[in-house]
Amino acid sequence: MAALDSRGEVLEVRALPLQHFLLRIRVAGMEPAAPGQFVMVAGANQAEPYLRRAFSVYDQEPVGTGALTISLLGKVIGPGTAALAACLPGQHIPVLGPLGRGFHSMGVHGLHGGRAALVAGGIGSAGLGLLAQALAREGRPFDFYYGGRGADDLVEAEEFRRLSESTGGRLLRTTEDGTAGARGLVAEALSATLEAAAAQTGRAYEALYTCGPHGLMAAVARIAVEHGIEGEAAMEAPMGCGYGACLGCAVELEEGGYALCCRHGPVFNLREVAW
Amino acid sequence: MTTAAGAPVTDLSTRVGPLRLQNPILTASGTFGYGLEFAERADLRRLGGLVTKGLSLEPLAGNPPVRIAETRGGMLNSIGLQNIGVDRFLNDVLPDLAGLPPKVIVNLFGYDQDDYVRLAERVDCHRGVAAVELNVSCPNVSKGGIEFGHDPEILCGLVRRVRSATGKPVIVKLSPNVTSPAALGQAASAGGADVLSAVNTFVGMAINTRSRRPVLSTVRGGLSGPAIKPLALRIVWDVAHEVDLPVIGIGGIETVDDVLEFLLAGASAVQVGTALFRDPRTAERLVDGLRDRMLAEGVASVGSLVGAAARPQ
Repeated sequence: MAALDSRGEVLEVRALPLQHFLLRIRVAGMEPAAPGQFVMVAGANQAEPYLRRAFSVYDQEPVGTGALTISLLGKVIGPGTAALAACLPGQHIPVLGPLGRGFHSMGVHGLHGGRAALVAGGIGSAGLGLLAQALAREGRPFDFYYGGRGADDLVEAEEFRRLSESTGGRLLRTTEDGTAGARGLVAEALSATLEAAAAQTGRAYEALYTCGPHGLMAAVARIAVEHGIEGEAAMEAPMGCGYGACLGCAVELEEGGYALCCRHGPVFNLREVAW
Repeated sequence: MTTAAGAPVTDLSTRVGPLRLQNPILTASGTFGYGLEFAERADLRRLGGLVTKGLSLEPLAGNPPVRIAETRGGMLNSIGLQNIGVDRFLNDVLPDLAGLPPKVIVNLFGYDQDDYVRLAERVDCHRGVAAVELNVSCPNVSKGGIEFGHDPEILCGLVRRVRSATGKPVIVKLSPNVTSPAALGQAASAGGADVLSAVNTFVGMAINTRSRRPVLSTVRGGLSGPAIKPLALRIVWDVAHEVDLPVIGIGGIETVDDVLEFLLAGASAVQVGTALFRDPRTAERLVDGLRDRMLAEGVASVGSLVGAAARPQ
């Protein structure tokens, strides 16, 4: 399917704690993104930084005929994200997407059915937004593990609570400073659930989906192997173009060689990646 | 000449040595994949030509991450010549490109002279290949390539061998990372090159101040984008004046004014690169923009612009 290169109209820029922001854009003619897919965006009339930035589609909603409203969840960490956070409603910004391959949770090629765990570290939650919605829609139960340094890192936590609880699952928060949920790391919380279940009835989850810092995703990959669970990670890599031309976003594979995060990914099987 | 609708049309076609192009806008090696990656995002038919990602005899996996770093006005890359290998390109990709109006120029990279000769022989019989461009200046591989582009005698010998291995026009892509690119251009000319393209990326680096480590896994990478445009333009000017070969200008081209500057400096055509990452339609936009500009200024042909900045008014 052709990814549309278009200009979207900024509808809203919502400031969230700790320099997080939610950007809503209306894009005419854009196909809905599959869970895990992304767009390349830049601020209005942006000269610097030169290249667009990759953002997971966090949320989306068709509007009228052939238009789509997409929501991007981000955090200001440099000039690219700052330019996006500084967008004003009514401005038009470049949007290329949807791009990449998303999660394989659904359909005939999907991972196992049964209960899933979604494991987000900080703003990595943005990469799991559409997946959580899709699982909720299909009535597939999942728990949402959400970790950060402090409570303010867990943006949109209530939305993930609502979605997980609608499937009979729950939100489990962890923070390093103990300001929300359990004190500690989110991978430890996942591990604890799996160990407890293994000691009793068997497997707590049939699939693990993760997005966040590299260390977290590597830890989830180790846990998946330990417990014999399938899983996927939505990866991040510095991208020049987002569609396979610059070959910049190499992800090292377990079998040797590299795959492009933008084309082969951004979602990879946990066992595929050389962590 | 007019269209069916009666609107005047400016002829953008141009000649670059033995190559006839429908317009002077090409896409640069390493920025347009093998062409087909862009088929759904850009109208390939509108390009003057496209230069493939550098091809080697065997497929190459490329360098470990991190491979790119954005810098002010551009980016550094250290891709390491990841490519599918010349045979897969010729068998699987070229047939889909060969029927299109843009000229397909195959960028070739070898570790030694024999590699280049074998690559040139391999593409020689393929009618869909309009020319070969020799990458003798890639800064991102530990051996090969680069040494050919830095020593005039070696470059002359290499070009001579490639010249005798193929009947295709031979384009030599010059490195900017030498004292006198024009001197290398003269060496390429002496070896029998038909066309020069200038320039490849400038060697640079970036450091992550938080981790206090170089950003790129290879430390050094090639700088491209608007940041290098004035540097590249100066080299194109020098090469066009000092070497008696047509030149294809490359380096940070993004606007119609950029295209005109390179043409006026002496380039017969240009390659667009990094700007495609920012906007995949940059090349078509430049074709339209150049035509509009020529119409507005009453310029009859691309050729009349080439090198005009050096001619008396």
